[in-house]
Amino acid sequence: MTQPFEELRELLLRAGVAPRHVRRYLGELADHLADLRAEEERAGRSREEAEAAALARLGRVNDLAQAVIKQRQFQSWCARAPWAMFSLAPLFLLAAAYLVACVYLWCGWNLFLPAADTPFGTPLPGSIYSLTNIYFQAGKYYYICAPVLVGWGIGIVAARQRLQLVWPTVALLLIAWMGASAQIEASRTAVPAGLGHISMKFFAPASLAISASLLHAGVILLFTALPYFIWRLHSAHALRG
Amino acid sequence: MAIHETNPNFMNGVPELLILRLLQEREMYGYEIVQAIHSGSQAVIAVGEGVVYPVLHGLEQDGALKSRRKTVNGRSRIYYSLTPAGGQRLAALSSTWSNLAGAIHKMLAGAQA
Repeated sequence: MTQPFEELRELLLRAGVAPRHVRRYLGELADHLADLRAEEERAGRSREEAEAAALARLGRVNDLAQAVIKQRQFQSWCARAPWAMFSLAPLFLLAAAYLVACVYLWCGWNLFLPAADTPFGTPLPGSIYSLTNIYFQAGKYYYICAPVLVGWGIGIVAARQRLQLVWPTVALLLIAWMGASAQIEASRTAVPAGLGHISMKFFAPASLAISASLLHAGVILLFTALPYFIWRLHSAHALRG
Repeated sequence: MAIHETNPNFMNGVPELLILRLLQEREMYGYEIVQAIHSGSQAVIAVGEGVVYPVLHGLEQDGALKSRRKTVNGRSRIYYSLTPAGGQRLAALSSTWSNLAGAIHKMLAGAQA
C-alpha cells in the first residue's frame, strides 16, 4: 500500500471508523488510483508524473478521511459505545466462557464420577493418561485460560482500532478482577434429583482471600495486558522511526 | 498528496443525486461513475475522485444501492446498482433539486430584469 493510504488508514482508524469499512474503502481507492495512473500514462506522462497526477485527482488525504469520518454509520461500536464494548461486553464474554466451563464440568462429573458428591478433591480413577484425567485437566486449563483469552481478544480489538489506552485498560482490569474473584462450587446433594448443581460467584472473595485474589488478578492482568502493551510500544516506536 | 480544488459548499447532496441518476441506467464501478460525472457535467462538477466511495458505501448501507464483485478483463471490481428504494430516493431528490434550481433560476432572472 502506498504511503498516502497508510496515512489515511491511520487517520480513519484513530477516528473510530470500523476496520471493515477502512479495508473496503482503501481497496477501492487503490483500484481507482490504478485506473487513474493508467489513464495518465495513456495520456503520455511518465510513470512518476502519472502517479503524482493520479494522487492529485484522487483527493487530499484529509478530504478523503473526512468524507468517511463525518458519516456516523461507518463508526465502529468501540467508538460509538466504548463503555459497553469495554466494560459490559468483556464481562459477558467471560461469563459465557465460564458457563461453557461449568457445562463441561457437569458433563464430566456425571460421566466419569457419577457417585461423587463433588468433582473437586475427588481422587480420579485410572492413571494420569486416562481419559478421565485428560478430560478434567483440559477443563481446568480452559477455566484458567478463559480470562487470558478474553483479554487477548480485547487487546486485538483495541490494537486493530488504534484505541486510546483508557478503555482497554478498564476492560483488562475488569477481566482480571472477575477472573481472580471467580469461585466455583459443585454439590450433587444440593438438588433433589441428584443430578448435581454447579454455581459460580464473582467479585466477592472471602476477606481472608482478598490478598490472594489481588495477586491472582495481578497475574491475569500481566498475561492479558502484556501482548497489548508490547504492541503499543512497538507501534509508538515505529511512528517515531 | 497534491491539492485538488473542489467546490464543497455547493456540493451537499449533489454527488448522491448524480450517482443515483447514473446508476439508474446501468451498474457501474467507482472509476466509471466519476468519469461519467466529469464528462456529463462538462467538468463543471469537480470532486476529489476518492470521495465518491463514502457516498456509495453510505447509499449501500441505506439500502439505496447494492454491490457485487465482478471480474472484467482480469480485474476484480465492485459494481454498484440501484435498488427499488434507491429509485424512490432518486425521485424524491430529483424533485427537490428541480424545485430548488427553478427557484434559483427565477430569482437570478428577476435580478437581471
